[in-house]
Amino acid sequence: MADGLLPRLRALRQSDRWIYTTMLVSALLSLTASFVLSVDAIILAADPRAALACNINAVISCGTVGASWQASLFGFPNAFLGLIAEPVVITIAVASLGGVRFPRWFMLSAQVVYTLGLVFAYWLFFQAYFVIGALCPWCLLITLSTTLVFTSLTHVSIRDGNLYLRPRASRLARAFVGADLDALFVALLLLGITAMVVTKYATVLF
Amino acid sequence: MSKDNSRTTPPKGREALRQRQQAAATADRRVSIAIRSAWIAGLAVAALLIGVTTWSIVGARSGNTAGVVAADGLVTPASASDSGAIVIGKPDAKVTVTVFLDFLCPYCGQFERVNGSAIAAAVADGTAKLELHPMSFLDDLSSGTKYSTRAANAFAAVANHDATTALAFSQLLFAQQPAENSAGLSDATIADLASEAGAPVDVVAAFPKQAYQPWVAKITKQAFDSGITGTPTVKINGQTFTGDLYTAGPLADAIKAAANG
Repeated sequence: MADGLLPRLRALRQSDRWIYTTMLVSALLSLTASFVLSVDAIILAADPRAALACNINAVISCGTVGASWQASLFGFPNAFLGLIAEPVVITIAVASLGGVRFPRWFMLSAQVVYTLGLVFAYWLFFQAYFVIGALCPWCLLITLSTTLVFTSLTHVSIRDGNLYLRPRASRLARAFVGADLDALFVALLLLGITAMVVTKYATVLF
Repeated sequence: MSKDNSRTTPPKGREALRQRQQAAATADRRVSIAIRSAWIAGLAVAALLIGVTTWSIVGARSGNTAGVVAADGLVTPASASDSGAIVIGKPDAKVTVTVFLDFLCPYCGQFERVNGSAIAAAVADGTAKLELHPMSFLDDLSSGTKYSTRAANAFAAVANHDATTALAFSQLLFAQQPAENSAGLSDATIADLASEAGAPVDVVAAFPKQAYQPWVAKITKQAFDSGITGTPTVKINGQTFTGDLYTAGPLADAIKAAANG
């Protein structure tokens, strides 16, 4: 297993250390972004025309996104949800790095809730891209980090059989993850998002 | 061994083991082929996405998306004529109305507010096409903010996208025209007015790049070199209009006369 760079990288990617470290770092990034966006939401509530640090021009503008109805879908700033959810992920990641193993039902619950979060994050991305027409750097960071947390969580869930799949589905899922196809899939997803943003906003960004 | 036989009496011992191993080996092979194909397809898509991204960055860098770039690097709005005007309306319209203006010049504003809707109507119904020369010689009268250049650059950027939107934008700029020796409208207000006129967000966001500033400077000089001495200078089919510019009627009548003549 230790011969060659590629096999070693692949072994590393499958290791607990890698998976939970990715989860931890991504969740910390997500928490930071959620915190900044929450503070911005409060500033915007006090003064809708406040000049936020990330209002760089008409396109790169947290204010435009933050002032939209989509940014408070449930009647409060979406970022509050990140403040609630990400500390749980951070706890799971740190405990797992320390050797704790959670019950399957617990990990399944975490997976279900985080999947809803991922769906929400992508809905927001598409709203910002197609409807609001502005880029918000902190929101993009959340899209990225939510994707990475979801990936690492799903990696664990499939490997440890937390999803209660049928034997055949479970075997296929494990083959998928074992062949690092999940990493390929996520890489394509992130490249696709990058391509979307760059092709639409290249004249502004470069 | 016939099929019927295998269904009714399962094979025993060594034979059964061999069959199971064979089936498992076939399944393994199928899975590894699927994995390999997925990787090849995935890497191809990744290369494609990276290509698209790089291509649009290179395109934006070289300015292909922002106007027409000449060999000397001068960026010209797509709807500009060689004479240095933004051309609005049907190219084969019978009447050509040419206006030399500066967005800060008070008389240009007065002229626009009086005649703007008549000119816009003539452009809309195809009677006339409008040539606007957005000049910048009053730059020194906006407390150092170069309002004339900023407004003309924004106007050219919108015109590069769509000339009709640019006409609506110029009307809004004149409707809120700042006084001479003020700081002019802020960049944010100019951007808001462009959005209000219907310019898309990426066009508006590119105003700060001031891509058309050299073009504005060039056409300003070009106008003076061609004998223009002040603004507004209005021409109908190349002839300087000498009637009253500041009351509604005379210019509209002159356009009508030129259309019927």
